[in-house]
This record gives sequence, structure tokens and C-alpha cells, in this order.
Amino acid sequence: MQTRREMLARMGTGLGITGLASVLNESGSAAPLGSAANPLALKAPHYKPRIKHIIHLYMNGGPSQVDTFDPKPALKTHEGKRPDMIAGLKTENTTLGLKPSPFNFPKCGKSGLEISELFKETSRHADEMCVIRSMYTDVPNHEPSMFMMNSGHLQALRPSYGSWLLYGLGTENQNLPGYVVLCPGLPVNGAANWGNRFLPGVYQGCHLNLPVDFSPKDVIPHLENKGLSAAAQRNQLDLLQQMNAIHQEERKAEAPLDARIASFEMAFRMQTAAPEAFDWKSEPASVQDLYKGTDGKMNYFGSSCMIARRLVERGVRVVQIYSGAGQPWDTHGANDAQHRQLCGATDKPIAALLTDLKRLGLLDETLVLWGGEFGRTPASQGGDGRDHNHWGFSAWLAGGGIKGGMAYGATDEFGYRATEKRVHVHDLHATMLHLMGLDHEKLIYRYGGRDHRLTDVSGVVLKDILA
Amino acid sequence: MLRMCRTLLIGLGLLMLSGRGIAAEPDAKALELFEKKIRPVLVEKCYSCHSAEAAKNKKLKGGLQLDTRQGLLTGGETGPAIVPGKPAEGTLLNALRYTTDLKMPPTTKLADSVVADFEAWIKAGAVDPRDGKTSVATAGIDWEFARKHWAFQSPKKYPAPAVKQVGWSQNGIDAFVLAALEKRGIQPAKPADKRTLLRRASFDLIGLPPTPQELEAFLADESPNAFATVLDRLLASPHYGERWGRYWLDVSRYAEDKALAFPTPRPHAYQYRDWVVQAFNSDMPYDRFLRLQLAGDMVKEPVDDYFLKLAGLGFQGLGAEYHKGSVAEQVKADELDDRIDTLSRGLLGLTVACARCHDHKFDPIPTRDYYSLAAAYKGSDLNELFLAPNDVVEIRRKWEAKLKELEAAANQYLVDQGRVLGKTALVYVRKYLLVAWQLVASKKHKVEVNTAEIIKRERLDPYFVARWTKIIEASTKAKPALPALKNWLTIAQEAVDSAKPTANSIAVPESLQKATDQLAEKIRDALAVHDMAGGKEKKPALTPRQDELLKAIWLGGGNTPFAPPANEALALLPEAAKKQHASLLDTVAKHKQAEIPQLPKAHGISGGGQAMKINVRGKVDSLGEPAPPGFLRILDSQISKPSEKPAFTRLDLADAVCSADNPLTARVMVNRIWQHHFGRGIVGTPSNFGLSGEAPTHPKLLDTLAVRFVETGWSIKWLHREIMLSATYQQSSQHSPTSAEIDPENHYLWRFAPHRLDVEAWRDAILSASGRLDAKLAGPSLSLLEATHVRRTIYSRISRIDPDKLLVMFDFPDANVSSEKRGATTIPQQQLFVLNSDFMLRSAKAFSVIIEKSSTKGEDRVAWAYRLAFGRVPTAREQAIGAAFLRSEGEKKMGSPTALEQFAQALLASNEFTWVD
Repeated sequence: MQTRREMLARMGTGLGITGLASVLNESGSAAPLGSAANPLALKAPHYKPRIKHIIHLYMNGGPSQVDTFDPKPALKTHEGKRPDMIAGLKTENTTLGLKPSPFNFPKCGKSGLEISELFKETSRHADEMCVIRSMYTDVPNHEPSMFMMNSGHLQALRPSYGSWLLYGLGTENQNLPGYVVLCPGLPVNGAANWGNRFLPGVYQGCHLNLPVDFSPKDVIPHLENKGLSAAAQRNQLDLLQQMNAIHQEERKAEAPLDARIASFEMAFRMQTAAPEAFDWKSEPASVQDLYKGTDGKMNYFGSSCMIARRLVERGVRVVQIYSGAGQPWDTHGANDAQHRQLCGATDKPIAALLTDLKRLGLLDETLVLWGGEFGRTPASQGGDGRDHNHWGFSAWLAGGGIKGGMAYGATDEFGYRATEKRVHVHDLHATMLHLMGLDHEKLIYRYGGRDHRLTDVSGVVLKDILA
Repeated sequence: MLRMCRTLLIGLGLLMLSGRGIAAEPDAKALELFEKKIRPVLVEKCYSCHSAEAAKNKKLKGGLQLDTRQGLLTGGETGPAIVPGKPAEGTLLNALRYTTDLKMPPTTKLADSVVADFEAWIKAGAVDPRDGKTSVATAGIDWEFARKHWAFQSPKKYPAPAVKQVGWSQNGIDAFVLAALEKRGIQPAKPADKRTLLRRASFDLIGLPPTPQELEAFLADESPNAFATVLDRLLASPHYGERWGRYWLDVSRYAEDKALAFPTPRPHAYQYRDWVVQAFNSDMPYDRFLRLQLAGDMVKEPVDDYFLKLAGLGFQGLGAEYHKGSVAEQVKADELDDRIDTLSRGLLGLTVACARCHDHKFDPIPTRDYYSLAAAYKGSDLNELFLAPNDVVEIRRKWEAKLKELEAAANQYLVDQGRVLGKTALVYVRKYLLVAWQLVASKKHKVEVNTAEIIKRERLDPYFVARWTKIIEASTKAKPALPALKNWLTIAQEAVDSAKPTANSIAVPESLQKATDQLAEKIRDALAVHDMAGGKEKKPALTPRQDELLKAIWLGGGNTPFAPPANEALALLPEAAKKQHASLLDTVAKHKQAEIPQLPKAHGISGGGQAMKINVRGKVDSLGEPAPPGFLRILDSQISKPSEKPAFTRLDLADAVCSADNPLTARVMVNRIWQHHFGRGIVGTPSNFGLSGEAPTHPKLLDTLAVRFVETGWSIKWLHREIMLSATYQQSSQHSPTSAEIDPENHYLWRFAPHRLDVEAWRDAILSASGRLDAKLAGPSLSLLEATHVRRTIYSRISRIDPDKLLVMFDFPDANVSSEKRGATTIPQQQLFVLNSDFMLRSAKAFSVIIEKSSTKGEDRVAWAYRLAFGRVPTAREQAIGAAFLRSEGEKKMGSPTALEQFAQALLASNEFTWVD
């Protein structure tokens, strides 16, 4: 079996400069390729970034703010009533009177941030968390609101923020996808949520459907050759690269040929790198225990959180973890029981993620974002449920550059509508880009004859929540 | 852009002069009101978003400036802010009052007294000493100037420009290209060799590689028409439509599901795909192609080919459909926007959707025009259409109705006969109730009774006893199984609980006896009334209670104890009745034998043509001025005669789009065809010919081709021939550093742009080379996840919600929006597919079998394999490398691919396989 270096020597000048550089690069880290050949190579941000990675804990379906992060005692005193101020606030369905939360909101940490007892474990990190209580978006339907949260537009017309970040910054690890989406099955809108739209396809999110007991070898489609050992495949790849080198002799100027030659090498390395990166079972038992649910078992969300930590550790730019397929938090009925169950499944893994990131010094360079596409109505739907609510909802951030132990903005006294320091999704996006060292007004892409931005013509960086 | 703004300003200047003339001489008191009560409020509360300063900082909202008198009068997007002397008009006062959707200032309402000041001021003539010019245009478009943009001018034919290298040109295209090259001092590339040219043309026109036989034939044909012969062959192939139809499906954002939250398939979507393929194959004139897609249901021709007439409506019928919820109107407006966007970018090369919320920032498309145009779709429905004439549809419908009727009759017979049996039993209701109770009580208290014997002794029908038993058992105090018998069931329940059984019997307590007697009597009375003959006398009516009772136990459905459901009744019937039922079933069977065949359906559109009002800022609940239904004004004057009709239907829209005078339609399509041959359009932004789009590299060529395209009857096949027979197209793809220095991106076509195959051609080529391709045309789509799917890639399922990962990985466009061109990204996941997927391994294996059969000698096998994969002979070096690999042992593991299979896979995986020179 010939070595890679022998093969390259034999190939002589077959590879163009960029291709050669990439094939020679063994580490797979840093920027191995010129940007012409590799659109994922690291790019300089606009200014010094506070963070390098984002882990988005996406509570799709829309969690209820008044049951989680926005305590509203007035709901108890006004139970069953419909104050005038609700009248104009149309949501998806008809709602009834105000429904108080059955959950307590103890003061947590040194800051005394009030967090629902449903997040008992997570709330131990209260002093690291900044809860935005004044989020709002434009429409009370899932599809447009999911698109808004992912792409800053209500229709499936714009690239997802993950795609924007890869376009703007590239990614540190060329052996792993730069933007990973973890969801068992598909959320509402499916793959359109993490689409690249008019940005090059290389920037799309890589969706992985990983049940708890997945095999790391199957983590990315076609990661394993069922017939050949690594050595035998290397041998076949050498033959292929020789053919490619000969083909390229007459075509030295054609960059796509370089890129494809380099890409074969990346793919070959990915076969080893990806299973390793996703193999959460290789973590010590003590770490695994952290991520288990309150029932002592590892659930999908726990393993996903652990994978997310392993991925950012290896340089992946964006990891989105959807709470589940469809819209798990869409609690039109049995809101309280469902919140108990959903929080029960996610609370401990979230706390573990924060603890673990901190332990490894990664929390300083990672933003953890928790939230749904909107919130839920403080009024009940059908007695025990809550309807969609885009007028006001909560999200929280923790990690690099974020001021912890604070609540930012506020909803009205019932938690219906964001009233103080209102934060639109555009503002959240602007802040996320800012933390990544990007000016949301300068991260532009020209398409169809005009410049496009993630934040369209809006977006204000939330300076007050920055450390 | 800059030029346009300037003219707008000039236009506005004129306006202001006339405005000045109207202004009355301000009196001192009125001035004082303004200075004391109005100006401070404007400065403090409004200027931050509505002033020249705000405009300068790009913070101006709603196009409204309140820092000049003229700004107030002209107003913004919602119309004039004030009309002096008329407080009821203008938008300002209502906004301050918070009475309409528009509430200003947005955060807090002004005090009532302040609002009253404004009202008084307006009423008194809105005296305003401020001067100054508003710096933004809100309403004025200088149409004459706007029409000067090249794309809004009618295209003309130009004579071929003079060139130095006179011998180079092959046809009308070349002089334009060569002149542009010579002007820049660039030398065109040499002609491509015949092998390269054939491979290029074959992939180009049918998306498949040439066979070795086709290559030999072309190499052997030394006539000057050899290449034209090839083009004729390729254009006549049914695979041509599969290749070029797919490009159109990118534009028409073809998808086979709705855009709802979860996958909701559109089962007949493929009919539109097949329609498009057929249209290309038959070289349907492009104007007709559009006309049928926009208004096939409304055009006169064709009369009786319903597939041809209606299936093209999928262009609209397969558009986005979203979840509605409580905001149905807004969502419908989004769906309409999807249609406007696809129509305007796809057919006209204009980004009209930009004007949905505000006047277009670059192009002369005011918001009003968006809603004028949208009228064609307003009120339309996306629906399933039968591809058959109405009378045939009617016959099928009648047949279906008759089937339903016959089936219902057979069923009803069973129900009726069951009731007859039920009535016989009903007479003994008392016995039934008591026996059933005894059985329930026995079971509860575990008293052994011989059920069959009791039933026999009492001469009851075991079927009805069982039904009553079930009802008693299923009843609780809170929920009686028969609400009408609540009392009796309650007593019966209590009696079951308190029963005092002996060893082998249970006595009926007196209370139950009594209740049962009473109930039986009531039922008997009700039955008597029910049975009374009508005769001449008016039939005595049942009391509501009696009615309820009979329905509950005999005349109702479902749980009614004396009414056996149809499926249970059959077994109970006497022989004669069974026979009668069988004959009814026979009638059903006979009717089914005479079935009128299922009619094919397609997804289409119906209706539309309702006038709209402007949706201010795109909001459906914020209606502005009416938008007169009609086509875009910037294109209107070019089209024969502006329509004076009150409505603007889809047929009117089709007429306007397809008018030979429309300056855009032909240009846009010529440019798209050009783009797919050369990798880049003459206009680099194929769906945007507006002011913000790219200028054409060869404007005169584009225009000349557009005019000739229309002259030849909008023939797309003519255009292919014209392009491919040019020296420009037949150039080699050889790179030239000197040319690249001047024109790095080959905009001026100094060579043929080499490129990677798109996913369809690449996958199809692999299937073709490995002998696995099933070349069947048309029909329902298959999933690419199915290993058995070896048809061409165009026949794969296309989803908005769950797009196929293979397609997405290889730059297939997002089916949510009209796509103007494909990217060509390289990501390692693609190469993982190439190295490891079942598809590739299976293809490699099949390919290796073909290679193996060709010869027993390694060298010959290599040569044959190169011929099949690349259409060429390998060099000695390649031959040696290949043969050496075939001699190597390969992996010895069981089931591992042989060296030959690995070699075959390497060929399919190679750059050369996916590269077109």
C-alpha cells in the first residue's frame, strides 16, 4: 500500500496550488484552503468576537413564558378574567380567561432571578443566564414564526442564521459540518428551517436524526464503506486521485476540480473524525450521568446536548437542538402536564450542558440560546391549554459576552405582550452576530440584484445584556 | 438609480411650486397656534422618524416627512397626512387618535388635549410657515424616464457588427460575440474537437452521455452537416424534454407537496411535470406554453385535449399553501405573493414582490401596480381539476352517485329488516330487560346460571339479550349507556349492587320489577301511537318523550338495542330476506362492472380576477386606495392598448405577458436558454432585468435573438440550433491566461465554460454508463431513497418540507421559491456519497460486469471502461495504472468489492466523469 505522500510525489504537479495545500494538510484544523477552493475556510470577523460557537436549544412549538421564565402573580388575582387589554391581541385560536401558572418561581442564585421550579436544575446557573422577557415576533402561526426565528423572514425566502454565520466566518473544523442540526425527525417546515436559500449550498445546515442509541458510524449518511477496510479504501482513493490528477494536467486553472480533489480527502478523513466526534458514549460515566434525565435515563435531548458540547469543542460553528419532531411545546391542551414532562426531559441536560461547557472553559466562547419560535397565551385555551402567543415571550442566553443573572425587558402585568425594552427576533439576531464579531448591517450578500442581510432593514444589538 | 432619484426630485419640485400658490397668507393667530402647540410636538415626537434628518440616517418611516409643509401635504405611503381645513381627511389625525391600525407615535398615545390642538389647527387651514423641500420621493415616478431602462424598451434586430476575423463566424450569433472580444483584445478559443463537442452537446440537450456507437457515427461523418445532424437527433429525442423541462421546473418552483407544517402531498403533481416535458418535446411555442400555464382553463384552444389544456395550470396550482389559523387573510396574501413572485421573476424578470409593502426601491413598480397585477389571482382557488370534458366528468360523477345509492340501498335493506326483527322482540321488552338484568347480576355476583337455557325458556332472541346485557354493563350512574333510559338503568345498577343472590338464582327486587313494568308500559303506549294507521285522520303525534324512547331502543342507530346494525343484521335474517339482500348486492356488483374509468386529475387554479385595494405596508387589515386591476404600468404602454376593463383576469394576464410587444418575456426566456448552454446568461441575473439587475454583456445580441425568437414562432428548438451551431458554442474550453487576465469570468465568451454536471445529469449518467438506467418516460414520482429507483432523476419526488438529501447535497434548488440558477458547491458529504453509498456501489458493480464481459485481458478491459465512461481511449499511462490496479488483489474480505468493481467505481467517481469541457 502506498502512502499518501508517495502518491502525491508520484502525482507530481498534478494538483493545483490550493489543492496541494489542502491535501497536505493533515490536521484538518485552521484554514487549510484558500477561500476560492474552500468557502468554509475561516474568515476574519468584522471585529474581535466574544464567542465562536452557538448552541441553540430550540423549544419548537413555543413554550409558555408564564410557566417558565416570566412569573406573573397577577394571573392568580385575575384568574378567569379577560382584561380589556387582551381584546386586540389576536392569536391563532379563541382563548378564554386568564390562567395562572401552577408553578412556583423561586429566586435563584445570587442575582435572585426568578425561574420556574420546572427548571430547578437549570436555575442553578441563574447567575450566568440573561432572560429576555420581552421577545416578540410578527405572526401567531408556527411556520412563519419558525422561519422568522431561523432566517429573519416570515417566508421561506432567506438563508438561516446558521448559513449566514458559515458564510461570514467559515468554520474551524474542516472534517465536520460547520452547522449541525439535531432533531429526531423533522420540526415544522422541515429542512427549510436550516436552508441556505440563495447562499451557496455549502452553507446549509446538516440535519442529523440521531436517536439516543445511534451508531456513530451512521451519524452522517454514507460515512462507512460497507465493503472496504480503511486501508483498502485508501488504495482505491489513491487510484481515483491519480485519475483526477491526470485529468487536471490539462485543466490547471479549473478551481472546482481542485476543490473536488481536496473534498475527497476531507471526506476520507471525515469517516474517522465524525464517528469520533459524535461518540458520546466515550465520555466518562460521570459526565454521561450529568446529562441524563431526572428519571436517570439518557434521553434524546441529553445525548444531543452532550454531542453539542463535543461538537463545539471540535470547532463546529452552530449546533441547533430541536426539542423534538413536529412541535412538542405546542400545548393547546394539558399545558401544565405537558410542560412538566417537557421540562423534566430537558432541564437536567440543559444544566449539564452549561456545567460541562464551563468545566472545559468552553462557555466563554459559546453562546447557549434557549427559546421557541414564540410563546403561549397567559389566557387558557379550552380550560387547560394555552394558545400561540407572538405578542410576547421569553428566551434566555448564557455564555460568552452575556451578562448573567439578569432579566431584560418585560411583558405587561399578565405576560401577554412585550411592553418594556421590546426585543424583536431581528434584535436577537443582530446581537448573536455581534457576539460572533459580525456587524449585522455589514454582513451582506448580493443576490437577485440587491444586498441582503439576516436582519433585513431592522435589528438593534442589545448592548445592555452584554458583559 | 442615482439618475432616477434626481428626476424624481425634479418632478417633486414642480409639485411644490404649485403647492406654494395655494397657500394662503398666514395670520398671526394661526401662526401662534402652530408655533406653540404644533411645531414642538412634531419636533419632539415625530422628527426622529419623519424628517430629512431621519431620511439621511436611513431612519425614515413610511416615506413620510413632517418637517416641511409639503411633506405633510404630500404624505407618505398611506397618502396625504393632512388636508388643510378638512380634519376628517388625511392620515395624521386618525393615527394620533389611535383609532385606526396606524397608531402614532408608536409607543405612547399623545394626550387628548394635544390631539385636539392638531384637529383645531387642521380645521383652521393648517397654517405652516415652514419651507424646505422634502428630499424623498413618495408618489412620483417619471414614467417617461423610467422607460428608458434598456429592458423596458422594445427589443430590435441589429445588423451583425463588423469584425476583423471575418472567417470565424458560423452564424448570426458569432459576429456579436467576436466584436465584443475584439473590442477587448481577446482572442476566441480554438474549436473543440469532435469528441468533446458531442459529449458537450449530448449532456446539454438530453442530459445523458453519448453512447460509443453515437460517438463513432459522429466521428465517421465528415460532412459539413455532421453536427447539425447530431442536433436534429438529440432534439428529436424524448429525453430532450426531460432535460430542459427540469430547468423550467426550477423556475416554476415545482414541488409535490403543500407548504403546510407537515408533509401534505399533492398526488397529481407529476402531471404538471409531464406536461412541461411534453411541451418541450413538442417544441410548443413559448407564448402558448405560458398562456396554457396561466390560463389554460380560459383559452379557446385546445378544445378536447384536457391534459394539454389543463395540466399546465400546475404552474400556479402547485404553488405554496400555508397554514391559516386566525390570520387566514394575511396567509392568503402570502400565498398570492408566492404566485406574483414566481410569475414576475420567472416570466418577466422583474422583482415585483418587492413592491408588496412599499414602492419598489429601484424599479418603476409602485405598490399600486403590485395590487393591480395581483387582481388576476385575487379570489382564485388552487384545486384539483379533472383532465376530461365536463360531460365525461358528469357521467363519472353520476356513476359514482349511482354506486353510492345502490350500496346504500343494500345497506338500508339490512337495517330495515333488522328493525322488523327488533320490533318482534320489542313486544317482549319487559322480559328482555329483566333477563338481561339477571344475567348481569349473576355475572357480578358470580352466580352460575345457564344463560342459554334461560333464554330458551323465556323464548327470547339471544342476540337482543346480549345487546341489553352490554348496555346495562356499560352504564354507570354518571353515564348511562342509553341516556333516555337513565332512570331504569340507575335503578337496575343499584339493584345489581344490592342483589342478594342464592346459590343458583338471583331474585329481581321489587323496585326493579316496578320500574320495569312502568317502562314497558310506556314503550307499549308509544308503540301503539307509532303504529296507528294514518288514514284520512291526521296521525296522532308521539309526545317528545315517546319519540325519544322509541328512538333510543328501536328506531335510532348505533347503540339502539332493538335495531341491529347492518353488518350484524344479515346473520339474523330469514332465508328469503337474505336472498333479497343478495340480489341487491348483485345489482351493486353489476354496476361496478360497468364502471366508468377513474378520470385523471391535475392540480390547477380556478377563478381570480377580483379587484384589490392597496394593502398598506403589505398588511391585509390596513387597506388603502383601490388599485385599478391591470398589468404593470411600466409595461402597459408597450402593450397594444391599455385595458379599460374593470376586471383583470388570468386570461388578460396571459395576454399581457405573451404579447409580442412585451419587452421582457422573449428576452427573459432567450436569456434562460442561453444561460443553460453557456453557464451564464447574457444578463447575469436571469430573474432580474430591472435597474438593480446586471446589464447585458451583449445587449444587441440578446435583442436580436429575442426578436428572431418571436419571429420563428417562439420556437425554443430553433434557439438551441441557433446557439449550438455558432462558433461561439463550438469553442474549446481551453483556458487562456491572457484572456483570463482581461475577462476573468469569461463574460465575453472567449472559451466554452467547462462545468460540473448538475445532480440530475450526473446521476443519470452513472445509471446510463452502468447499464442500469430505466429510460421509461412520465408517470408518478419515485423516492430517491428507494434502491429500485433507477429512472431518470427528474422522476424523483420533490418536497418543500422534506427535500431529498441527495438532491439538496448537490445544489438542487429549494422548491419553496422560483430559482434562477443552480450553485455548484463542493462539500465532503458529496464525496462520501460517491465513495460509500449503496447507489454508487451497486452502479459500480453493474458497470464492472459490463467491463468484465468486454474482454479477458486487463488492458483491454481498461480501454473498454474508458470508452464507456469518458468516450475516449486511455493513454498508455492510464492504461498501465488501470491494469496494475486490476492485477492487485483487492480486499479478501467476504463480500468486499473486487478490484474490478473498485476500478469501475473510481471511473464513475472521477472528476472527468462529472466534468464537461
